[in-house]
Formats: sequence, structure tokens, C-alpha cells
Amino acid sequence: MGLKRYAARRVAWAAVATWIAVSATFVLLWLSPDPGADVAAAEAAAQGLSPEQAQERYLAARGLDRPAHVQYLDFVTSVFTLDWGWSVSQNEPVMEALGESWGHTVQYAVPAMAVSVVVGYGVGLYTAVNQHTAADYVGSFVAYVGISIPNFWFAIVLILVSGVWFQDATVLGLSLEPLSFRTFYDPSIDTFTVANARQLVLPTTVLATASVASQMRYSRAEALEYVAADFVRTARAKGASGWRILTRHVFRVALVPLSTILVVQVLTVLFAGSIVVEQIFAIPGLGRLYLDAIRGNDTQLVLVITLFPVVIAILGNLLQDLAYVILDPRIDYGDR
Amino acid sequence: MTGNTPPANDTSDAPPANGTSDAPPANGTSDETRSDATRRTFEGIDWERVDAERGLAITRWAAAEALALVGLVALLGYDALVVADGEPTVDVPGVLTWDVTGVQWLFALVLVVGVARVGRLLTRRPRMAARYWRQFRRNRAAVASLWFLLAVFAVGLVGPLVWKNPNELLDFGRAYRKPVVAGGSWTYPLGTDAQGRPLWNLVVYGMRVSMVVGVTATFIAVTLGTVVGSVAAHFGGYVDEVLMRYVDLQQTFPVFVLLLFALYLYGPSLLLVVVLYGAFGWEGIGRLVRSEALQRGEAGYVDAAAAAGASRWWVVRHHVIPNVSGTVITAATLAVPTFVLGEATLAFLGFTDPDVFSWGRTIAAGRGDLATAWWVSTVPGVFLFLTVMAFFFVGDALNDAMDPRRER
Repeated sequence: MGLKRYAARRVAWAAVATWIAVSATFVLLWLSPDPGADVAAAEAAAQGLSPEQAQERYLAARGLDRPAHVQYLDFVTSVFTLDWGWSVSQNEPVMEALGESWGHTVQYAVPAMAVSVVVGYGVGLYTAVNQHTAADYVGSFVAYVGISIPNFWFAIVLILVSGVWFQDATVLGLSLEPLSFRTFYDPSIDTFTVANARQLVLPTTVLATASVASQMRYSRAEALEYVAADFVRTARAKGASGWRILTRHVFRVALVPLSTILVVQVLTVLFAGSIVVEQIFAIPGLGRLYLDAIRGNDTQLVLVITLFPVVIAILGNLLQDLAYVILDPRIDYGDR
Repeated sequence: MTGNTPPANDTSDAPPANGTSDAPPANGTSDETRSDATRRTFEGIDWERVDAERGLAITRWAAAEALALVGLVALLGYDALVVADGEPTVDVPGVLTWDVTGVQWLFALVLVVGVARVGRLLTRRPRMAARYWRQFRRNRAAVASLWFLLAVFAVGLVGPLVWKNPNELLDFGRAYRKPVVAGGSWTYPLGTDAQGRPLWNLVVYGMRVSMVVGVTATFIAVTLGTVVGSVAAHFGGYVDEVLMRYVDLQQTFPVFVLLLFALYLYGPSLLLVVVLYGAFGWEGIGRLVRSEALQRGEAGYVDAAAAAGASRWWVVRHHVIPNVSGTVITAATLAVPTFVLGEATLAFLGFTDPDVFSWGRTIAAGRGDLATAWWVSTVPGVFLFLTVMAFFFVGDALNDAMDPRRER
């Protein structure tokens, strides 16, 4: 099977997977009671009106009383035509609500991502090559702490240390005040300013910690698989330098499994992490929007943000499947 | 099936001793037979006897498991049919009042089955178990972590029967008492929170929650992952293709996202968290079991069993699954902390039953008092952190102990 056919098959699978994910979400939604309708019923009951009528009116207004297949077609069409409806909790179209918040999330999520890849892979590879040295033990311990520390707790400890103690603490006569970062996000600060960078230090740190640590662990374990491999020994025998062996031989092969882990990581760590981080640091980004939607019984918005990471995951898997065959020449197309 | 597993194949098929069973060959009858057998010739082994003894040991565990399950079902029946709705299951005034919830029934079931299975695995190959334990013991941090986890487990299991429910100890007169380390009194060694509830009681009840989530969700995930992984590996072809495509799909739907969505639709519930984590958190274990089982499938004993007329299902059940149990236990140990952290995160965000004293909830409650009463958030945070880290230490040490390449 040639590269073109392989790529076509992977793209087709990504399309099927997206369709299945969207359908599964619809089924889940259709099988369960609508939280918004329940709220409408409760409000009507409180005002002495008929809760059944209020519920019916709520469902009819959103076309939720139509037969399932009509709703399904409508649902799928609107998802794929980006016609995402009206957000009750934000009182504006879902599209606009998303447009206002994604920037705030990207500001700290992208740096956190970059840090976790660069630092995580770097330290992981370094400790793998220098196994059983002091640096290896320190690195491993830091990685254990990083993956184990609950990010929400880490965030509030950082706020306590940086925001409260560093305000008036001194070490050897030097004030620690410069290390005291803003603990609450101020959205009115311009993006490309020092003040903005300073207020993003703590959220980025919290979000990056867990992913740096897990990338460190995975890249160390993967690199250890290959440092004793035949092709590495051959390269060494031919006189390749340590750096060349590390980057061209070990890292290239290790990148295949690492890229898989990265896609999964990006999603779970960043998605769950951004909800926590935005809640604690009061950042009006996507995570905050999601929480507001859940609390405000805003099914439309909850739905769209739920499908977000799923679609990103499918696209990520597609890219990674294509990267596989380029990175590791040993993989042949017929395999999958 | 006579002589289906010659002792020569015993390279990596026993689980590690993850409890206190540091019992070398001394008392295991089947093991004596085996060490005799290696000295004698292969033809001289009385396979009938070996099978009978091994069979007996297995039957004993199976019988105990069955008995406990019958007892559990009887209790459940009593709770469902005899005890009125809303009444506590056990009600001895002044001694014990306990309304067993759905999650607790599930937890009890998992404990019974889990203890029986792990016990059976450990006693089946005592020699291998002892060897893994010797490997494991080299890692002192992991041994300390194991003791810590056993302590947390024990306190979480019986603690709520010993110490009072924190909500019965509400007393605003003693709010914000300092813990001992900050110069407080020994009456409340870990201090009290904003409502005067002793943090020790909150921590103990939190241990129960974390253990229930960790153990139950992992058990469900391990069961599903093992079955799917070994079936996919052994049957191959379309079965493999369909199952693995499903695993791909499940991976693209992060379980945390699914949980938030489900909690939105159905409201906060610990049972939902446990079941969803178990039912949709097994793809890693499934993949691992599949690749391990594929390697095992090449082994001589699988061919031997097939040649002796074993059905495919028999081979999976009696040869493939026991032989991947080491991998499964390691993967399970590393899956637990993810579930525990996930539940705590959800509780921190407020998605939890009001009567569930999750550590995450206590941490969230103490957030506002950080500058004046740092211990309210910090104490449960430290416990959560140590528990999660201990699971990672133990899991990695198990991995090293069972990696045949690490043998020295």
C-alpha cells in the first residue's frame, strides 16, 4: 500500500470517527433529561404555573419535541455547518462566546505546551543517556512530584507562597516582592506587555507542571528502550557523536510513541487543567466558559465545548498517524 | 487438561507479592512438588497429583469467593427487600447506624472478587511471587509507599466506623483551631476547619472516598481491558480490528470530558464517577494486554494446549490471561492515581454529592481562608499528594521487578 492510499484511509477513518463521536453525543443527549427543561419546570412550579406546560414549552421552543430522526439530522447538520446556536448563559451566539474566550486560554496553554515538550523531552532524554547519575535521580524525583501534585492544590499553594508570603518576605535583606506575581487575572491588560506576561506566569506554571513531568517520564522510558539498540551501537561504531546519536537515532525513533502520548496528554492534561486553572485564577477563557455553561444549564454551549477536545483528538491522531510513517522508516503502510 | 503447563515455562506468570506474603516455598504444598519435580525426570512427575493439589488450592479460593459473594447478595437482598426505603441498612442504636449506598455495595463486591483473585494468583506460584517480592523490596521508597497505602486503605475502610461523621461535629465555637505542627493542641491534631469540623475526621472520610474510587474504577477498567485485550489478541482478524478501532475511538473521547458532560446531564454522583472512569478508562490497559498477549501467543505452551485439544476460549482463559497478570497489575497500579486525582478534581470544581467528603472538596472549602488558616487546604492536599505519589512509586517498582531484562 502506498503512502497516498494510506493517507486516504486515515483521513476516511478520521471522518468516520468524528461522525461516530457526534452521533454518540446526540444519543447521550437524547436519552437524558434536559437540565434546562428541568429548571424551566421548577421555575414554573415556583410561580404557581403548570410545570409540565413549562417543560413542553421549553422543549418545543428548541425543537426538542420532534421525532428523534428529525432532531438527529438537524443536530448533525448544525454541528457540521458551524451553526451552533444561542448560548443562554452568555446571552449571545455560541460562536461569539467562543470567539471572546479562546484567546485567553491560548495565551497560557500554548506556552505551557511548548515548555512541556522542550523541557520534558530535553530532561527526559538527558537523564536516559546519563542513567544512574545524580542528575538522573534528581530528575526522576522531580518527575514523581510533578505528576503526583494535584494541580488545583498546587495552584492555591502557589498563590499562598507567591501572592501572600513573598509580598513582604525578605531573604538576606533582599525583598522577594519581584517574585510576587498577580494571583488573579486581569483581562483588561494588553496581550503583549510585561504586565500580561507576569500575570500569566502562575497559570502557565501550574498547567505545565504535570505535563512536563509526564513527558519527562515517558521520554526517559522510551529513550532507554533504544540506547542499547543495535542501530544505536552501529551508529556509535561508525563514529557518530553523542549529540548526533541522541537526536538522529534515539530521538527519531522514540518520537513515534512519544507523539501518541503527546496527543493524549495535550487533551486530558490541558482540557482538565484549563478548567481548574481558569477557575482558580479567574481567567475568562474556554475552561471558565465551560464551567459557567454547566452551572447555567446551557446545553448548547456545553455540547459545543464537549465536542471541541474530541475533534482536536481526532485531528491530532490523524496527524500523528501520518507522522509515524515519516519518522520511523521501519513502519510499513499495510500494518494499519 | 493434564500437564498443560510444564514448570519449565514458569518465567513470568506469577504476580508480585504486593502484600505481606513474604512466604518462601516453606508452606506451599504444590511448590514442594514442583521443586521435587525439577530434580526428578520429567517422565517421573505424577501430573495427576500436581493437578489435584493445584486444583485444590484454586478451589479453596474459588469457594471462599463464592461464599462471600453469596453472603453479599443475601445482604443486598435484605437491604432491597426488607429494609424500607430511606431507612439505614444497619441500625443498632448507640453502636452503629449505616445506610449502605450504591457505591459501597459496588466497592464491597470489588473487594471480595479482587481479594480472592489476587490471593489465588499469589498462592498459585508462591516461588515466583517470592522472587518478585525480593526484586520489589530493593526499592525502599516503593516499600515505604506500599505500607503507606496499606495504612490509608485500612483507615479508609474501618476509620468511618471508628471516627464520627464530620457533619455530626459541626461547632462554630471551635473553628480554625491550629494543627499541632503550628502550635495547636493535641485535641485536634490536624486542626479544624471553618465550621469547627476536625480535619482528621475529614481526612479519614476522604480516604474512604479516594479508596472507593481508586479500587472500584480500576477493577472495572482492568476487567474490561483484560477481556478486550486478550480476546482481540487471541482471535485476531475482524474481532481484533473492530475492538481496536473501538479503543481508538474511546481514546479520542477523553474520559474527563465525558464525565463532566455526564455530570451535567445527570447531576453529581460518586457512583457515576466510579462507573464511568471504569467503563471508559481502560483503553491503555486493553492495548497493553493485547500486545503482551500477542507475544505470549507465540509461546510453546499455547501451542501445546492447542495440540492437546484446548478450545480457543480455554487457551485465553487459562493460559493467556494468567500470563499477562503481571502486566495487568502494574498497569492497574499506575491507573489508580489518575482516577483518584480525577475524582478529587471534580470534587474541587464542585461536582460531588453533598454527603461525600472528598479531599478535593475540603481543599476547595479552605481556599478562601488560605492567608489566615493555611492548614484547611494544605492537610488534605498533602494526603492526596502522598497517596497519588505512593501509587506511582509502587507501580514503577512493580514494573521494574517484573521486567525480565532487569534481572541481576
